[in-house]
Amino acid sequence: MKLEIENIKTDVLCVGGGIAGLMAAIRARDLGADVIIAEKGVTRFSGSARIGNDHFWCYIPEYHGNDINAFIKECMLTQLGNMLSNLSYPIIRTWLENSHEIVKLWDSWGIPMKKDGKYDFSGHSFPGRIMTHLKYKGRMQKPILTDQALKRGVKIMDRVMVFELLGDKQGITGALGMDTRQGRLIKFQTKTAILGTGAVIRLYPGVTPALMGNNIRPFTSTGDGRAMAYRIGAELFNVELFSRHAGVKNFCRSGQATWSGVCRDPDGKPIGKYIEKPNIKYSDMIIEVDKQIFERYHEAGKGPIYMDCRGLSESDYAYLREALLNEGNIALIEHFKEEGIDLMKNQIEFSTYEFRYLGRIAMNEHTETSIPGLYTAGDESTFSISGAAVFGWLSGEQATRYIKNIDFRSGEKDSDNIEKQKLMISSMKSESYGYDWKDANLALQHTLADYAGAIKSEATLTAGLSHLRRLRKKLDNSLRARNPWELIRCLEVRNLYDLGEITFIAALERKESRGMFKRSDYPYTDPLLNGKVLIIKNSEGKPITEWREMGG
Amino acid sequence: MPPEIDYSKCTGCGICKDTCSEDVFFGPDIVEPDGISKPKVTYPESCFHCYLCVEQCPSGSIKIRIPLVMHVPYK
Repeated sequence: MKLEIENIKTDVLCVGGGIAGLMAAIRARDLGADVIIAEKGVTRFSGSARIGNDHFWCYIPEYHGNDINAFIKECMLTQLGNMLSNLSYPIIRTWLENSHEIVKLWDSWGIPMKKDGKYDFSGHSFPGRIMTHLKYKGRMQKPILTDQALKRGVKIMDRVMVFELLGDKQGITGALGMDTRQGRLIKFQTKTAILGTGAVIRLYPGVTPALMGNNIRPFTSTGDGRAMAYRIGAELFNVELFSRHAGVKNFCRSGQATWSGVCRDPDGKPIGKYIEKPNIKYSDMIIEVDKQIFERYHEAGKGPIYMDCRGLSESDYAYLREALLNEGNIALIEHFKEEGIDLMKNQIEFSTYEFRYLGRIAMNEHTETSIPGLYTAGDESTFSISGAAVFGWLSGEQATRYIKNIDFRSGEKDSDNIEKQKLMISSMKSESYGYDWKDANLALQHTLADYAGAIKSEATLTAGLSHLRRLRKKLDNSLRARNPWELIRCLEVRNLYDLGEITFIAALERKESRGMFKRSDYPYTDPLLNGKVLIIKNSEGKPITEWREMGG
Repeated sequence: MPPEIDYSKCTGCGICKDTCSEDVFFGPDIVEPDGISKPKVTYPESCFHCYLCVEQCPSGSIKIRIPLVMHVPYK
C-alpha cells in the first residue's frame, strides 16, 4: 500500500502540547527558534491540565524564607517524597529555584496565582509546618498558554500524533507523525525534539476496567514519549516502579488535597491523627502518608472510609467549592447535584486508585536526555503542573541553544526506519483478519496485573514476560484499525507494549522490595540500592539494564 | 455513557467535535431529517469527563451522563 508523506521542517519540534510543550514552545520562540507543537488532541483542551489545577508546587523566598533545603526536607515528608526520592538533588533544586519566576510569569499572563493580591498557600501540608503548595486558579491555564504560544508565532498542529523519532546516537534528525482524523503521514525534519507527552495510563487496568477513560489522566496518555525515547536509545529509569493515588471512589479525579475534610471510618472516627475537623488550610495528610489505607480498611472489613467536609463555615465551603472547580471537578460537582449529594450534609467515599506508572525518561537538570538534541519535560521526566511548567521552559531554552551549532541532517537509518513504519501502518490498515486495539490493550493490562502486579517474583515475572512477548509477536502483523481513530489507538498500544515489556525486564533486575514494589522472593529492601536508579535502554534492539548512582 | 447530544437543540455547529481531545465525536456526522449534519458520539468510553464539550456548546445540547459504574457512594 502506498502511503503519501507530507514533509515539514522546523528547528524545534515539541511533541505534545500540554503544559510542558506549550512552555517549551513559548520560550524557544521567544529566543528566536522556529517551533512546531504536534499535539494528539487540541492544545486548548488537551492533556491532564485541561480540566484545571489548584495547587502549584513552588518555593517563594519572600514567603518561605531563604532556606531552600529546609523546604525540600519538608516536602520529602509529604506525598512528593515518593516522587522526589527518584530525582537527583540538582534537578529538585533547579526546579524550585525557577519556580517563582514561572509563578510570576503565569500571573502576568492572566492565570491567577494570587488571592486578593497575596500568595495563598494551602493543602498538601502538615498542620503547623512549612506550607508546600501555592493555591491558584488553573481552570483556564491551557487556553491562556495556547494563546501565548500563538501570539508569538508558534505553529500548533492539533490532532497530530508523533509516533516515531528519527535519528541516531549523534542526535535527533526528525520524527514521524500521523494526522488523527485522516490518517495522513507527516515527516518532520528537525534539529531537536522536546518530549512532553504526559502520563502513562492503560498499562495496568483502571478502577473501572470497562471504561478506560475513567482515570486521573486522560485516555490518550499512553507514554508515547517514553516509548519513542526508548526505541531510539534514550535511557529510561525505574520503569518497574509504580505508586497508587487515592481519591473519590469510582469517579477518578486527582487532587485529593483540594478536599478540606477529614477521612473518617464508618463510626465517624478520623483514620489519621493530623486533623479532627475539616480545615481549608491543611488537607487531611493521612492520605499523603498512606494512600493504600483505603484499600486496607476495605479488605479488613473496617471500611469504607469517608471524606467528611461537614462543619465548614459558609465562607470556607465557598473556598472549597471554588477550589474543586479549579481542580477540574466540574463533572463530579454536576454529578453530586444530580444525585442530591450535598457536601455539607453527606460524606463521600474515598478509595485507593489503580497503579500509577513511575518510570521516567532520564534527564539532567538541563532537561537533556542521553540522546543529543532530545529534551524532555513534564510527566515524562518529573511530575506535576509545576514540573511541566519549569522544565518545559528550561527545555525550550536548552533546545534553542543547541540548534545554533548544528545543521539539519538525516540519520543513516532514517530511510529504513520510515519504510518499516510505513509497513507497520499498512498492516494495521489491512482488512484481513486481526485483533483490534482494545483486545490488544486489555490483554496487556491483564498480563501486567497478573504477573507484574502488587506482588511478584522471578517465576511470575518470567512467565508474564514470556506471555507478553508471545502476545506481541502475534500482534506484530495482526493489529487492525478500521479508521484513523483506531489507527492512533493501535500506535498507542504499540507504545504500551514497549513499556510493558521493559517493566518486566526491569522488575526482574530489581532484586529487592521497595515501597509498593514487592518481590516475594526478595521481601527486604536492599540498602545497597539506596540512592540508586535502575536505568534501562535499548541497545541494537536489546534491552540493557544498569544500576547507577542517582544524578550520575 | 457520556456525552449525550439532544438533537432537538443541536444546531450542528461542530464546536463539541473541535473541543474533544479524545475525539469522542470521531467520524462522519449524522444527517438529521431537517438536512443539518450533526456530530455523533462514536467512542464514549474514551471520555475523560472533562465537561469541556458541555461548557463550549452554545446551544446547551450536551449532557454528560455519568455511567452507573462511576456513581460515587456516599452516606
